[in-house]
Amino acid sequence: MTAGDADSAVQRHKASIPSLKAKDYKSDVKPVWCPGCGHFGVLAALTKTLAHLALPPERVAVVSGIGCSSRLPAYLAVHGFHGVHGRALPLATGLKAARPELTVIAAGGDGDGFSIGGNHFLHACRRNQDLTYIVMDNEVYGMTKGQASPTTQPDWCRSKLTPHGTGIRRFQPAAIALAAGASFIARGFAGDPNGLTRLLAAAIEHPGFAFVQVLSPCRTFRPEQQAWKQQVHASELGPTHDTAQAAELIQRDDGLSLGLLYEQRIPLYAAGVAADAADDLTAAERLAAIEAEHCR
Amino acid sequence: MSPPASDSVIESVAELLAHALELEYASQAHYEQLADSMDVHHNAEVAALFRRLAMLSGEHAAAVAEHAGDLTLPRIPPWAFNWECPDAPEGADCLDPDVSYRMTTAEAIAVALHNERRGHAYYVHVAATATDAEARTLAAAMATEEVEHVALLEAMLTDAGGDQQRPAQDDLDPPHMPA
Amino acid sequence: MPGPRDASAPLTVAVTGAGGSGAVTAGLILLEAVAAAGLYGLLRRSAGPQIRGGESAALLRFGPEPVHCAGDRCDLLAALDWANHERFADEIPLDAGSLVLADPATGPPPAAVVESDTRLREMGFSSSAAERDGGRANMVAVGAAGALAGLPLAALLDAAGRTLADKGQAVVDAARACIRSGHALAKPEDRLREPVPPPPAVPQRWHINGNEAAGLGALRAGVRFVAAYPITPASEMLEWLAPRLERLGGTLLQAEDELASVNMLIGSAFGGVPALTATSGPGLSLMLEGIGLAVASETPIVVVDVMRGGPSTGIPTKSEQSDLNAALYGLHGDAPHLVLAALGIADCAHTVAWAVQLAWQLQTAAIVLSDQSLGQSRMVGEPAPATVPPVHHAAPGDDGPFRRYSVTEDGVSPMSVPGETGLAYTADGLEHDPAGAPSSRAADHAAQLDKRRHKLLAHDYGPDWAEITGAADAELCLVTVGACRGAVVEAAERLSEAGRAVRTVALRLLAPLKRQALLDAVGGARVLVVEQNHGAQLFHYLLAEQALPEAARALARPGPLPLRPGEIAAAAAALMDPDGGSP
Repeated sequence: MTAGDADSAVQRHKASIPSLKAKDYKSDVKPVWCPGCGHFGVLAALTKTLAHLALPPERVAVVSGIGCSSRLPAYLAVHGFHGVHGRALPLATGLKAARPELTVIAAGGDGDGFSIGGNHFLHACRRNQDLTYIVMDNEVYGMTKGQASPTTQPDWCRSKLTPHGTGIRRFQPAAIALAAGASFIARGFAGDPNGLTRLLAAAIEHPGFAFVQVLSPCRTFRPEQQAWKQQVHASELGPTHDTAQAAELIQRDDGLSLGLLYEQRIPLYAAGVAADAADDLTAAERLAAIEAEHCR
Repeated sequence: MSPPASDSVIESVAELLAHALELEYASQAHYEQLADSMDVHHNAEVAALFRRLAMLSGEHAAAVAEHAGDLTLPRIPPWAFNWECPDAPEGADCLDPDVSYRMTTAEAIAVALHNERRGHAYYVHVAATATDAEARTLAAAMATEEVEHVALLEAMLTDAGGDQQRPAQDDLDPPHMPA
Repeated sequence: MPGPRDASAPLTVAVTGAGGSGAVTAGLILLEAVAAAGLYGLLRRSAGPQIRGGESAALLRFGPEPVHCAGDRCDLLAALDWANHERFADEIPLDAGSLVLADPATGPPPAAVVESDTRLREMGFSSSAAERDGGRANMVAVGAAGALAGLPLAALLDAAGRTLADKGQAVVDAARACIRSGHALAKPEDRLREPVPPPPAVPQRWHINGNEAAGLGALRAGVRFVAAYPITPASEMLEWLAPRLERLGGTLLQAEDELASVNMLIGSAFGGVPALTATSGPGLSLMLEGIGLAVASETPIVVVDVMRGGPSTGIPTKSEQSDLNAALYGLHGDAPHLVLAALGIADCAHTVAWAVQLAWQLQTAAIVLSDQSLGQSRMVGEPAPATVPPVHHAAPGDDGPFRRYSVTEDGVSPMSVPGETGLAYTADGLEHDPAGAPSSRAADHAAQLDKRRHKLLAHDYGPDWAEITGAADAELCLVTVGACRGAVVEAAERLSEAGRAVRTVALRLLAPLKRQALLDAVGGARVLVVEQNHGAQLFHYLLAEQALPEAARALARPGPLPLRPGEIAAAAAALMDPDGGSP
């Protein structure tokens, strides 16, 4: 609690000030990220978003895999799970299926989500469960010291692992999400936390699988990404509900256009079917009926 | 991405106070984040500086809140504040291009000065453009306060050895792999 | 060797034929008839790799006492045709005492059958069926085999009605007509059993296979979330669970792979909803990293491994106990967890329910070993007692900041679930301090490793760790695990009848091993460890744990053929009497 919180005037106006309430969503664990890391912007935007949506912290869970960005849950005062590399989405899927009333957010980096966890990304898009997936994309593996990731340019030669560049084409997150059936696709920039807040709020409120790619520069291994600040621009596309139009524009896109690229309302994944309310059996009676199927 | 149109202007004292509070809280959060970050990276001197700046922002916020008294402030989503620039002028520019774990106190003060000057510029802008006379007067007063902050930081900068660029030092250790 | 005329000895009846001939349906009707006659039965299946049209065999063993394993030999074979019969030659051991019913319309019997010196009876299954409108040869075989095996005609007719009910009355009527024809074709002098008198009242028994029983155990223990990827021979457990979970307000989610399914379980359990998956060897291998996460984050999950022949794709449709090493040792790091093994078909329910309960009490991962021979074999027998109370998680302490991984006396820490105010924490696969913050400090690592081991070792598992038979002062103790228990117990009974005191210990809890309890149970007896795998995995585990007395030996044979009581008894006798002689 800060000194300001004790002030009665502050208390009275708390509900109106996003940056004050954002504190309620931060834990006291200090981030290990390098100073100047883009992920700080995502952390700030996410806490402001949760404050703006006034989601009770105990009703929110943030699930991650492994990597710099996957450290996120520990820095939040909500329920968190820092799992294994690449599996944030399945863990989030299981949690949401078991507890549909929770707001479940999966988060991680480009290597975690698009390489080792790539298969889960495809199927989470297809499944359209009511989840938000934030990928902090810095086109590099930071935690393992700067190797090329799926979104790294093929001619990027600064990793000792691929001294001649990877020579393979970049993974196209938005295009792949669209092809896999994602119902909400957005791209934000860590250097624009307020704009990112708007996208995250829309993503969390979207009923379905919402994918938000966040361009989040790596200070240490990709210093040239500091230029993103000047290069990003609003998407010419604007939000569209037309899959064919979105596909065409996302394919033409330079990867630095920001905004909500695509949104469609499609049926949610129907997990957690509640017991038939039409019968008035107790749970024990239902179980007894199942047991009786095998009795002769 | 999409800076609010420059014709989006402050129209009331309550709106101005909401902006001022957001600005100070964001600034406080930003300095706290930088202080934490410097702690984690064992730069105690700069951490202490950012901690002090965070406290100052908190005090400013409390003063603004007191000024607000019983006024009901508008509820503004984070993306709908009428900043001149994409981010809150004094706070949430999280990319911090000039921040480094090896930064000196002077460099840290320079970062803070940049933020405070943006804050000042914002209030000057509101003082000139707000449609409500009372809001213009209040913004002018706030701009004057920001001048004081800027002057304080400038004095601190001089004490710390001035604004001149220190020659870049190499980090002798390779980047570290935590997990 | 004459056929067993002793009415109390179990009888083995096999029906074989090309896919589509209805051998499996015939077996199911015979099993129903066994139940209707008040007897106990075990129906195993063997099939080729074809999806449709392959050869298949239904192998039924039944009698007045519970049946827990395959017999040593086949008493009666009804061959609807001879398609690929050589594939079954090993699984259907014929001898001079066996009786084979063969349809002359399908050609001469294969050389192996002729050479077995068995009694052959030609019986026109297909020609008899052709006399009935909609008649099928397999139903004629049911009537004939049922008559020769001593099953009452009324029980056979009743069984056909139950089994074929959803195919319509015309099919049932035609089947019953063919069963009557077959019954009449059977010659009284060929009977292996005199007809069983109908029981005054049929006692209530379970009619269930191991996969269904495992699913039932999960539901009994409160499992309401299942995520899984289809795999033979575990899929039927998932298919059984899907609609029944829905009826109980739960969910089954078909995942994109086993990497996903195990992590989905962790998500569900983190949310406070008991979760389980079913898989087989290849899937278990993919899940191992996730199981380690459950161990480190202390999230309760249960993985049922319905084992099949391995390694790699191996023999997907047939049984083997060769995943013990993977289940016990597969996790990287020091990752103490629970490994249990179901000791029979009905016991799949008990062991799975116990595993769920233990996983939640101890906040860890449990691997339950079943196998194809349990999962896909159907029994008529005694139900598993429903004694498992609902699962619960430890209530969080209410003083001071929440320390999810605090070091407690019994090693079990308070656990919260989302929705509980003020008890948020970040579960982590990184080593952590008591509050859950990542830590690489030696002291935290040591404390958490100790805690995770201690909570498993300090728990009182009660008597369920093993099933034990025989006298304490036996000269030989047969130690086994899982599905082998049935054959081991039967072998011990035979040896006891021959005057040799033999004890059996079947381990239900493999890890943590109740080492001292096992040593106490074995006493001064010599030990033969019996298991169905090539590498003597159980034997080596027990040796490594110093849980075996001097001069213990292993009878380890890989699948796919079942371990039979006769070969176990022979190996035991050879150990007791190295100079020869048999019980």
